[in-house]
Amino acid sequence: MGMRSYLRFLRRCAGVSLKGDWRYYAWIGVLAALCVTGLNAYAKQFVAGLEITGMSDQVSWGVYIANFTFLVGMAAAAVMLVIPVYIYKNEDLHDLVIFGELLAVAAILMCLAFVTVDLGRPDRFWHLIPVIGVFHFPGSMLSWDVLVLNGYLLLNVYICGYLLYCRYQNRKPAKWFYIPFVFTAIFWAISIHTVTAFLYVGLGGRPFWNSSIVGPRFLASAFTAGPAFVILALQVVRRASATAGDGARRQPRGDTAASRRQLHRPATAADLDLLALYLPELESVSPEERRECLAGATILAVAAGDVLLYQGALDNDAFFVLKGRVVVRREEGGRYRTTRNIGPGEQFGEVSALTGTPRAATATAAEPTEVLCLPQESLRSLMRNPKMNEIITWRMGERLMISDRSLLILRAIVQVSMIINVFLLANEIFTEFYNTNGHDVSWRYLVLGLDGYHALVPWFWTALTLNIGAMVILMLPLSRRLKWLNLACLMCIFGIWIEKGMGLVIPGFVPTPLGEMVEYVPTWNETLVCVGIWAFGLLCFTIFLRMSVPILQGELSRANEA
Amino acid sequence: MASDTTDNGMSRRSFLRTSTVLSAGAAAIAAGLAPLRKLGQFTSVDEFVQKYYKELSPEEMKAVLARIEDEVQRQYGIRPHVRDYKPMNGVEFVYALNLTRCVGCRKCVHACVAENNQSRNPEIQYIRVLRMPNDGTFDVDKGDHNYAPKSVPEPGVFYMPVQCHQCKNPPCVKVCPVKATWQEPDGITVVDYNWCIGCRYCEAACPYWARRFNFTDPSIPPDQLNLNMSYLGNRPRRKGVMEKCHFCIQRTRAGRYPACVEVCPTGSRKFGNILDPDSEVSYILRNKRVLVLKAEVGTLPRFFYYFDV
Repeated sequence: MGMRSYLRFLRRCAGVSLKGDWRYYAWIGVLAALCVTGLNAYAKQFVAGLEITGMSDQVSWGVYIANFTFLVGMAAAAVMLVIPVYIYKNEDLHDLVIFGELLAVAAILMCLAFVTVDLGRPDRFWHLIPVIGVFHFPGSMLSWDVLVLNGYLLLNVYICGYLLYCRYQNRKPAKWFYIPFVFTAIFWAISIHTVTAFLYVGLGGRPFWNSSIVGPRFLASAFTAGPAFVILALQVVRRASATAGDGARRQPRGDTAASRRQLHRPATAADLDLLALYLPELESVSPEERRECLAGATILAVAAGDVLLYQGALDNDAFFVLKGRVVVRREEGGRYRTTRNIGPGEQFGEVSALTGTPRAATATAAEPTEVLCLPQESLRSLMRNPKMNEIITWRMGERLMISDRSLLILRAIVQVSMIINVFLLANEIFTEFYNTNGHDVSWRYLVLGLDGYHALVPWFWTALTLNIGAMVILMLPLSRRLKWLNLACLMCIFGIWIEKGMGLVIPGFVPTPLGEMVEYVPTWNETLVCVGIWAFGLLCFTIFLRMSVPILQGELSRANEA
Repeated sequence: MASDTTDNGMSRRSFLRTSTVLSAGAAAIAAGLAPLRKLGQFTSVDEFVQKYYKELSPEEMKAVLARIEDEVQRQYGIRPHVRDYKPMNGVEFVYALNLTRCVGCRKCVHACVAENNQSRNPEIQYIRVLRMPNDGTFDVDKGDHNYAPKSVPEPGVFYMPVQCHQCKNPPCVKVCPVKATWQEPDGITVVDYNWCIGCRYCEAACPYWARRFNFTDPSIPPDQLNLNMSYLGNRPRRKGVMEKCHFCIQRTRAGRYPACVEVCPTGSRKFGNILDPDSEVSYILRNKRVLVLKAEVGTLPRFFYYFDV
């Protein structure tokens, strides 16, 4: 039974991932074509060997490992959404945690692909599998990386899968089944990036990397680029899951079924019994408490299309659905997006009832619907029961809100991380340049060029300009406006990508430990492989979002399986 | 989307569309993978499932050596003799190089290439000779790797050949995720070419730039192949694996000098057993002014430079 319903869940997820409008198909089509192009380039490399890349014995790692390093950071940054929610109980980011973790999954898949294409003998990957192969643990930092990356992948797949499946079933996730994993994932995320930094830091023969500040720099840059990417991705989700058309159906404020008191009748004990069928927690409410709650409660029967409450209105009744279905839509930046799709036993309108704030969204009956309408005091009395309090409070958190507020919380994270990142870079630059002790040749090559070689100089200065530019924008109030925020985020992502990739991996090899100057420039084929892997990662992330957004909105749930 | 599906599943139209998309996708992937048709003998079942060197029983090793002889014969048209030379008891090899005498002729480089079946195209060489200015800095960053004068030696410089230092504390061994490279009891750090996954982490870890990677299949003219081969030494390598100087394991474990020592016209290169107090290297370490390169990285090389005076 459980297995069958889980398989049905997976089948429906797969089904929804194949559906979308023309923009979705175009995007998926372009990504798929780029994936195949990358696959073709990799097939060529597989035949010719790594000779087809720009790498050499002098510069023996290139853009593959550079991208790998950057993406481990992106994956680690998912915790920057998790920490505020689970440690600081910040509800604004609640649903966004799942998006962050899905990004982590896609990023780790890309990491694994980048490592694989970098291997000279990918057919021998099994030598790396503990027990079957020979796993050099704990001696080799690379073996640590294999463990932490795959462990992180499993953790995130499990957490996302469990939370989404619970939401699909409209079931409250059991704390013991995910909270321990969430906290493990927080430490694990920090470990994946620290371990990746140690890959470099542990090499005593490479002074450019052999610096204890590299680990902290890795974390700071990851916590900049990751949330910056999430800020952009969330706005794409917000736009893609919203429609411009729904606004036309808007009616003048105040003219709701509730305000018209249409088909009203006082609620009775029988109505609460009906509700208890869908809401088992209600069983624990004593008859006296139920009677107390029924005072002032009414039953409202409405037709499909009737509006039950309006976004922005100041009324404060709370509702429970008894029959039918209610769709909750929210206006965000001129567009309308479904935040919930509610069936019998579920509540809406309780936030305004409890806080007195204006309605956050508009609720419309999707079919002939009966709802139990509770005045503020009745809801309060119901919530004096601890079980009811728990379920109602939990459900308050379970709605897909990509508010500007949550974007601004992420902005604060990006802002602080970028300041720390630039500060740490300044520390390193000072240490290397104030003293001329011969430790600094790779730094000189990166920043100023050395002996007429300066392939990396434009990369470094571009990254520095982007990072400092982004930091300045983020520190100014104008970055509260989304246009500026998005610009700053793009600058962060590209700046960090260069800093962690070309700016970190390549100079470690130039000059060689024997002082030879050989530069590295990626080849066309190598670039195509990278593009293919990025397309593959974005394809995964897109499909993950395509599946999870309808689940979070309640459009894809067990209730509407038929 | 829902319009062309029925309660019973897919309608004909959506079935046709799905199958068109799927077959177009499969065709695109097949076309993408087309270059693989040019892939010759990449690996064999026996090679793919071959166990780790240290886990092979003597019988299994025999079969592996015979298979490698077959592979070489198939590729080069001539049958070699591949052996698995074992370290000798009571032996720890040490190398000493006289910087006063070395004239930078690079004969060692070429003798090494010939002895150890290194790829001629692309060129792989284990020894790199640096021309260093006589300015008292002893800084490799000032070394010239590509010096090409009409004749050597030249005034005002000295020459410093660098090859694997066979460190006692080898970072390359420490970082290998699959233990495909390790230090033998006689002090030689070797690579199991059939176990290496080609991640090149050891190459990044080496402070002496002593490791070489096969970025493509090596090419050696069959008539120049050295047929006295060892499993951990000079048997021909394949694309995608690491290799390095192994003190000519196929010679030194049979009581001979490495090729570079034998060929050196000035006698700058000395090699022997440090555990034998009467060996030449023991004498040098006791009596000469000896130094190691990059002592600060703490790898404890078994490769010493010394001066006559």
